[in-house]
Amino acid sequence: MAKALTLKELSKKEVLISPGHRMCAGCGAPTVVKMVLLASDYPIIAANATGCLEVSTCISDYTAWKIPWIHNAFENAAATISGVETMYRSLKKQGKIDKEIKFIAFGGDGGTYDIGIQSLSGAMERGHDMLYICYDNEAYMNTGIQRSSATPYGADTTTRPAGSVVPGKTEQRKNLTKIMAAHNIPFAAQASPSHWSDLVKKVRKALDITGPKFMNIISPCNRGWRSRTDDSILLSRLAVETCFWPLYEIENGITKITVKPKEKKPVIDFLKPQGRFKHLFKPENEALLAGIQADIDREWERLQKEEACFAS
Amino acid sequence: MDNKILMKGNEVIAEAAIQAGCRFYAGYPITPQNEIPEYMSRRMPGVGGIFIQAESELAAINMVYGASAAGMRAMTSSSSPGISLKQETISYLAGAELPAVIVNMQRGGPGLGNISGSQSDYFQAVKGGGHGDYKMLVYAPSSLQELWDLTMLAFDKADEYRNPVMILGDGIIGQMMEPFYPTLYTTPDLPEKTWVLDGCKEREPRVIKSLYMGDGELEMRNNILQGKYRSMKDKEVKSEGYCIEGSEVMIVAFGTVARIALSSVLKLRREGFKVGLFRPVSLFPFPEKELFLLAGESRRFVVMEMNAGQMVEDVRLASNGRSEVVFYGRTGGSIITPEEIEEKVIRLMHRRPQFVNKKSGIR
Repeated sequence: MAKALTLKELSKKEVLISPGHRMCAGCGAPTVVKMVLLASDYPIIAANATGCLEVSTCISDYTAWKIPWIHNAFENAAATISGVETMYRSLKKQGKIDKEIKFIAFGGDGGTYDIGIQSLSGAMERGHDMLYICYDNEAYMNTGIQRSSATPYGADTTTRPAGSVVPGKTEQRKNLTKIMAAHNIPFAAQASPSHWSDLVKKVRKALDITGPKFMNIISPCNRGWRSRTDDSILLSRLAVETCFWPLYEIENGITKITVKPKEKKPVIDFLKPQGRFKHLFKPENEALLAGIQADIDREWERLQKEEACFAS
Repeated sequence: MDNKILMKGNEVIAEAAIQAGCRFYAGYPITPQNEIPEYMSRRMPGVGGIFIQAESELAAINMVYGASAAGMRAMTSSSSPGISLKQETISYLAGAELPAVIVNMQRGGPGLGNISGSQSDYFQAVKGGGHGDYKMLVYAPSSLQELWDLTMLAFDKADEYRNPVMILGDGIIGQMMEPFYPTLYTTPDLPEKTWVLDGCKEREPRVIKSLYMGDGELEMRNNILQGKYRSMKDKEVKSEGYCIEGSEVMIVAFGTVARIALSSVLKLRREGFKVGLFRPVSLFPFPEKELFLLAGESRRFVVMEMNAGQMVEDVRLASNGRSEVVFYGRTGGSIITPEEIEEKVIRLMHRRPQFVNKKSGIR
């Protein structure tokens, strides 16, 4: 088990995603990537699905990645890293390589929840020694804020616009972390850049486990969330404190809530600063807000019960 | 309608589809065609139609397969990498003889390429990007007026031939704005859809499939399909010529390049150069006969495309050695400029035609 790192220790490590990448000011994704790479004691090879992160970190002849990095199409980061990881295992077996290398695939929610779930599920089932990280900004931000199956109920997107009849997205978001846990993989977790210590700890734990691991990390997008660029970390914290995005891990089938908010805040604290939920605060949509709160309460209750069930 | 309106290319396609009775659209985000699904998501509910954002391009075109089998006028759209993903079902649509309209607003390739307009999916569209011997009707609009008109026509032809029809545009025409006449759609005399799967309570069951395992069955099936493609070749060729008469050099170009070339041709004509432009509007069927008749020793063809040379092969086949055929292209989403076109044409005019064998005309 890797030992926990203090902020001081982290600050002395080399940052493996360099400044000069073209992600938007206030984007959560580079912060997530920076933390994930800082957390590792091992050399990393990363695969990247098409998306904001990929496009903005490899413009023209440049790369922002100080590690070996491979991009393939939108739907197959998990399959691509499967190939790389398998080749590594083969070379290791042949005695041509002796270094301990870890493999991480990064994908956004579109490339993970939607088009990439088939290749992700396949990779998890085959049991590759890899960590898949979804940076979940809750819509197709790279192509212009279209809804995805990670988009929360009630959010306004360009393909599910909020209007006089339809209040934005009317479907529930997919619980991908649970879907991945249902593959009976050794480690599945949710994290948030606001809780750096929790995030780093989870990545370190995941990298020390052999086999397929999955982490879902909330990643605010000020363009799509219609929020202030300097509010990203605040919003990811509010997502945790309102239990909109609970921080938990499922290790070998055992659920553990890793950060329990001292005081569970009402979900409107998370929704209010975001323009994509603006319409929900009209008087006629009061019931929708109550519904969102009820859904979160129910999920939070369920998660706590799950944890209690294993604790006893 | 008498008045011109101003719209964006991608939105023109979406609105024309709705006007033509398309009530089912399934799409998936990819630049540079996102305005189509976005427009559809706003517009479809108001006309009682269906908009679905699928979880992938594969899902989107298979939804179209289902909706079409149920008798709806259905459409999907994407851009090059997404169209690659749709190829399997395009082959299935053709094999099952289901009408559908597929829009490809091409971008630079191969691979993820870039998001600039390109014409490098010509082969994929006209030679069959999917498996098996099949053909799609492929239209290449070069103005927003044509986007409007050809989208409407695409739905009619899809139903008439029970075949997928592709609108092959590009990122430039999809993103640009220009005024056009939003002419009213008039329903043509089309055969009744006697094959639709809509419940067989009071009729014989129907079957729509592309699986034929019996001895010789699939060959017979293919013969029927080939007959259909031949009849498209006889009836559905569309092309336009500009300043053809007396032209010693004739530019052959489609879509965006043709509209750029036209301004060059008009300018060169004013300067006294004997230049013309031939523009295939239907890429399948290709205007072979038209080009053959225009070919001859006294006229050279210069094919200009935003790719590394794809349509040029069809022009060579059509010319069958009667004309010298040269190619000029730009790849990777780079646009051919009018200056480039003028320079290439003038340079060609100052060079003697290159024929090795005068008799056969083969270089």
